[in-house]
Amino acid sequence: MSVLAPAAAALALTLPVIVALYFLRIRRPTRVVPALHLWPDQIRDRQANVPWQKLRFSWLLLLQLLVAAFLVAAAVQPALSASVAFAPHSIVLLDASASMQARDVQPSRFDEARRQVGAMIDQLAPQDRMTLIVLQSTPRIAGSATGDHDALHRALDGINPTNGPADLTAALSLAAGIVRAGDDARAYLYSDGIVEPVRATFADGLPFPVEYHRIGLSGENVALTSLVVRTNAQSRAAYLRVQNFGQQARSFSLEWRSDAGLIDVRPMTLAAGQAQDVTLPVPAAATTVTAHVTAGDIFSLDDSVTAIARVPRAFRVLLVTPGNVFLEQALRLRTDFQVDVVAPAAYVGASAYAMTVFDRFSPPALPDSPFIMLDPPAGSPLAGGAAIGIGRVRGSDAGDPLLANVSLQDVHVARSQDLNASTFGRTLITSVQTPLILVREEPFRQVLVGFDIHESDFPLRIGFPILVQNLSEWMLPPSVPSRSFHPDEAVTIVPETGATSVTVIRPDGSRRALATGSVATFGDTDLIGVYTVDQTLSGSTDRSWFAVNLFSETTSQLKPAAQLTLPPTRNAAAAPSTHRGFIQVWPWIALLALVLVIAEWLAFHRGL
Amino acid sequence: MATPLLEPSLLRRLEALAVLVRRAVKGQMGGERRSVSRGRSPEFADFRNYTPGDDYRLIDWNAYARLDKFVLRLFVAEEELPLSMFVDLSGSMDWGRPNKALTAKRLAGAIAYVALAALDRVRLTVFADGPTSGGVPYRGRHSAQALFARIESFPVGGPTDYSRLVWPISRQRSGMTILITDGLGESALEPAITALQLARQEGAVLQMLAPQELQPDWTGDARLRDAETGAEREFTSTPATERAYRTALARRTGEIEEAARRRGLQFALLTSDQPIEDMVQRTLRRIGLLG
Repeated sequence: MSVLAPAAAALALTLPVIVALYFLRIRRPTRVVPALHLWPDQIRDRQANVPWQKLRFSWLLLLQLLVAAFLVAAAVQPALSASVAFAPHSIVLLDASASMQARDVQPSRFDEARRQVGAMIDQLAPQDRMTLIVLQSTPRIAGSATGDHDALHRALDGINPTNGPADLTAALSLAAGIVRAGDDARAYLYSDGIVEPVRATFADGLPFPVEYHRIGLSGENVALTSLVVRTNAQSRAAYLRVQNFGQQARSFSLEWRSDAGLIDVRPMTLAAGQAQDVTLPVPAAATTVTAHVTAGDIFSLDDSVTAIARVPRAFRVLLVTPGNVFLEQALRLRTDFQVDVVAPAAYVGASAYAMTVFDRFSPPALPDSPFIMLDPPAGSPLAGGAAIGIGRVRGSDAGDPLLANVSLQDVHVARSQDLNASTFGRTLITSVQTPLILVREEPFRQVLVGFDIHESDFPLRIGFPILVQNLSEWMLPPSVPSRSFHPDEAVTIVPETGATSVTVIRPDGSRRALATGSVATFGDTDLIGVYTVDQTLSGSTDRSWFAVNLFSETTSQLKPAAQLTLPPTRNAAAAPSTHRGFIQVWPWIALLALVLVIAEWLAFHRGL
Repeated sequence: MATPLLEPSLLRRLEALAVLVRRAVKGQMGGERRSVSRGRSPEFADFRNYTPGDDYRLIDWNAYARLDKFVLRLFVAEEELPLSMFVDLSGSMDWGRPNKALTAKRLAGAIAYVALAALDRVRLTVFADGPTSGGVPYRGRHSAQALFARIESFPVGGPTDYSRLVWPISRQRSGMTILITDGLGESALEPAITALQLARQEGAVLQMLAPQELQPDWTGDARLRDAETGAEREFTSTPATERAYRTALARRTGEIEEAARRRGLQFALLTSDQPIEDMVQRTLRRIGLLG
């Protein structure tokens, strides 16, 4: 037992004052009454009005002394030693990611974590400080280094679970950033351990130890982890993946519906850990299709998934080539491309096309639209220097999104124009001798390939159609991508030419207006469901959709991590000094004092 | 000009009333009351056999013709009603808004006027720690002003000693006695009431209280001083003590009423804020004292 405000003990002087008041003579007005003998002898408690008279026992005096004693006891703030060890600066990392919405602990993992953090705040000693960091896809500081219990509770109450992942690396970086040199800090991680793997960014270790408080018990969950709608010449179908992450077999119903209504209900049974792919029909008129499992498990975010079924708008693409079956086939892989192939002699212009591919041909005037130029003839504006021999190729930047999933291993180029002197743009694929593929974005997106693909084995590699796909998507991005995104993932929206307004309607009905003049990045994708994008074009509204689904096996497996691999602590030997927190008991003492005040009031009115 | 004890208009209305007596009375002078004595009046009372010495003028000769014996006709004698009034003017009566003693004086004057107007004989006695006679009995309407002046002349104050009323009550002749008091003296009122019964008195006990006695209008700390004895006590008024006081007052009133009724006397609880005419016309007529 400790007292947090010992100076308040001076208030105990009120006790002798109360006793003294019982000795003091009260100035009483004289009242003449016809018959004094009718009035009860009711001045025992106040009888001690003659100074220095022997103090008589009085219930009122006793109760008043008790009330004063309890109030003094409350004022000194007695506190019991708590179970949690606190450092002078406690950094609480509260996991608010999607998996914390699991209900294996009631009411949910997040609520349980919040309750534990709330109890921790209550036990914070007056001289201690606490920083509250919300662990989510983009961690943020909710309460900054304060010992104010009320402010911390307010900050805690303002935190809500999100549908995104937990970026523990970013949260630890944030925490490390607020710890000053010499700050005696300790971090407390309240999480189920389902976080993105910690990236190796803490070479020197963390400036504080991290105490992991695991929240959650079970991993019993059936999830829908993928839903894709594919269209080919014959039909359209949806491919759904259902997984049982639990340790027990589960039987459930799978509902399959479009925006027009229910299509099918299928009973399913999955063994423990089993995954099953299901092919489902997609009606021709459907805009969205939704799968839903009623497994009655502990996690609902992955029980419903939605995909956009509307066929994307087609682009007209012109391929000008003396003959290039590899390129033609790669372009035709895009279902939304309508590819026209013409010989260079037949080329008359590209104004009717969204994109043009010039293979070993350069027109007199380059088009005012995106194009790919392959091996431009010597003398043409984009032609490079004399051909030089090339060996192995490599990506200029392995992390470039245009090279995503493009493997350049075992890719060889026999000859290429020397593009060392080219000012076309930045290098995408290069070699020891010369850059091979250049890209630029101004005035519109263009690609320059310095070699004839027939003089390379690249068309024979799987990376070739992927590169063509990446480049064409980059050059002709859909106005609104109709694929599924993860929560909190940014969505690039390219307003249609002439659009006067672009509005995104979120699944909850809220609206966000976007700028119309440039490519917009829409980041308010925290809700799971279908987002509608309305673009106003010369009075009419063009409507498109994209979906946000959890689609995270990491999250859906739900089983709380028993241990977390955390970065080491810097100066591990010099652990921060800790002390036990306090459980303040003064509210209970004050409550007792209130009860006694009521008792004193009753005693007074009952004439005790 | 001093305010008269009772307004002339009230006096005129009081002349229509009379003091009601249930038994025949025995007065000293003729009046308008049935007397226990047989006398001369138009009202026949009874027959009785003649005995030597009787007034032979009262022999009923018609009866003698039929019965062949002397029979006397007896007639009701009409005599005055001896009305005695005992008015409490002790210190406890000098209290309240309106003052209880003043109200008691006015009530006594009103009842006395009713009696005087009916040619009854009124004897007035005031008391505190002892009785003080109001002088010779008053009779006839013309003596009303003298009686009023006498009532008003009595001082108010001193302790109440009801036991000292026993002797003046017991020496009264049979008649009617009205006792006006607050009944709050420390001594018991019952001996005086018992004396009324023993003296074959009809009558009433009229308890006069102030509204502030029935409903105390103060709370908190006070130094209480007894209006009669001057004794003081420090006191704190609380809801509990107020309840206890009301209980004690109700018990005292109940004891007085019980004692009065047990001895055939009327009882009425009056408050000093009640108009005199209301007391007379309503309360006293309701209990059968006036009619």
